[in-house]
Amino acid sequence: MRTFKPLPSQPAPKETVGAVNWIRENFFSSVGNSLATLAILMLLAIILPPAIDWLFLSANWQGVTQADCTKDGACWSFVKAWSKQFFYGSYPSDELWRINLCLLALVAVIIASNVLHKDWRNKIAIPLFLALPFISIVILDGRPIGLSFVSTDYWGGFSLNVLLAAAAIIIAFPLSFLWALGRRSDMPMIRSVCVILIEFFRGVPVLALFFMGSVMLPLFFPEGTNVDKLLRVWIVLTLFMSGYMAEVFRGGFQAVPKGQYEAADSLGLSFWQKTLLIILPQVIKISMPNILATFVMLFKNTTFLLIIGIFEMLSTTQTALTNSNWLGGHATEGYLFVALVFWICCFSMSMISSSIERKLDTSHKK
Amino acid sequence: MTSEHQQGIEKNDNIIVIEALNKWYGDFHVLKDINLKVKKGERIVICGPSGSGKSTMIRCINRLEEFQRGSLVVDGVEMIEDVKNIEAIRREVGMVFQHFNLFPHLTILENLTLGPIWVQKKPKKEAEATAMKYLERVQIPDQAFKFPGQLSGGQQQRVAIARSLCMSPEIMLFDEPTSALDPEMIKEVLDVMIELAEEGMTMLCVTHEMGFAKKVADRVIFMDAGEIVEQDTPDEIFNNPQTDRLQLFLSQILDH
Repeated sequence: MRTFKPLPSQPAPKETVGAVNWIRENFFSSVGNSLATLAILMLLAIILPPAIDWLFLSANWQGVTQADCTKDGACWSFVKAWSKQFFYGSYPSDELWRINLCLLALVAVIIASNVLHKDWRNKIAIPLFLALPFISIVILDGRPIGLSFVSTDYWGGFSLNVLLAAAAIIIAFPLSFLWALGRRSDMPMIRSVCVILIEFFRGVPVLALFFMGSVMLPLFFPEGTNVDKLLRVWIVLTLFMSGYMAEVFRGGFQAVPKGQYEAADSLGLSFWQKTLLIILPQVIKISMPNILATFVMLFKNTTFLLIIGIFEMLSTTQTALTNSNWLGGHATEGYLFVALVFWICCFSMSMISSSIERKLDTSHKK
Repeated sequence: MTSEHQQGIEKNDNIIVIEALNKWYGDFHVLKDINLKVKKGERIVICGPSGSGKSTMIRCINRLEEFQRGSLVVDGVEMIEDVKNIEAIRREVGMVFQHFNLFPHLTILENLTLGPIWVQKKPKKEAEATAMKYLERVQIPDQAFKFPGQLSGGQQQRVAIARSLCMSPEIMLFDEPTSALDPEMIKEVLDVMIELAEEGMTMLCVTHEMGFAKKVADRVIFMDAGEIVEQDTPDEIFNNPQTDRLQLFLSQILDH
């Protein structure tokens, strides 16, 4: 009998690999493509030099007052002088460590949930995550643990954007999961309640929700109780986020193959075991890109809070711009800086999201 | 098939009793007046054209499908609306699916220990030891820490069988376990099933593997249009069909 021997693999042809070939294939593969490449290069040549000049070369980096901004370029001294306000608002200078501690805790929990072993992640990182907003409130407020009291009127700046968005999404996560679950429920009562909640918070513009939160919500509280404005905003943001995420989760639920439910059923798992152990992890994995996108949206929406007088980063910037010592028209620098900070954060979140996706990808081969 | 095995079956009581079972999908009558008694240790192969209701019937046994009329008793527990009864029956009945349905986010070992740990409340160590024992039996202990997506179809199906066995079921249901496999992988799965049959597991198997049916089945059931048309020993079914429908079916699947 003849023995079958597979042919050895050959290297790929030279003209299909290498850097020069890559450039040719990606930038100059056709006449149209080459023209587009050249047009973009020309556009960059026109825009980039003056932009770089204004941003860096003739920019003012030194100095603490407006008078120091003598050169033609950007006045980064403005941003430097106000940086503490931009990040921490009017929080007392001696107590800034409390904000830093909260931010650090947030980062630590995020890292922990990424590096810890699965068992520890479920037992430690997730409960910590859920407790984090409340721990942060206690630390920032100070009273319950015997630190000096800092009223929410003084909370502000970029740290407020971050903590508020994080606190909203952390609570919105379990809430929206329940709403999505309820929307799929066989029980008509539960289903209609969830549909109404989801559609209300998705359908009403977020600005209208903020106004409702700051003006209408107090009407529903019993007379005499004074619920903090920031707390109300947190509730509104959480509900708004839940509405969106519930729909994201619903899409995830529908993408889990029916066989997964059947396999879980046939093992005799109860409804909640099936939902939490089998379905939820797959739903999260499928929905991760959309959850992160929704979160980025929410994070950016926190700047809308300037309209109802919360001193988040954008409204701090506006305050700085109207300060009598800095009336030199630094709007471009100020808003550029806000944009840059938000961009860095949102971009890092995209990076984190794709790294989580890779990690969770144990392959859904059919 | 040994005579000893036959006697063993006859001594025991019925483990599954289906009486006058009827099921509709909306207006469509999928199962018509099904009556079936299965004895402990009996190996049954169910065949028939697609859409004949064979999968639906075995899926009624562990309540993946509801039925509207009739009664179904599994190991003395009657299948009624009560969630407690349904879960009790599901613990007794293992199921293997056409598309394996392993949990893709869990390792092979976790797939196997999930049921024992959460449903039977076994300690993790014990569950893992049992799982490794069954993985060895299906000959893939070296894959324990991989994810389902990294395994071939045949390996995945063997894991799925091991996952069911970890729950120490009284009855195993197989819903076309080899239909989604490449030809070269069918044998490794059938071998595991044959071994299981030889150990006396009560099995109901929907399959078109006639060789398997001839080799292990005590009884072959032929279904068409939601009814049980014929049931008898493999010998009788294959060599002496009583209805024109079965004759036609056999000529379709055997003559090529």
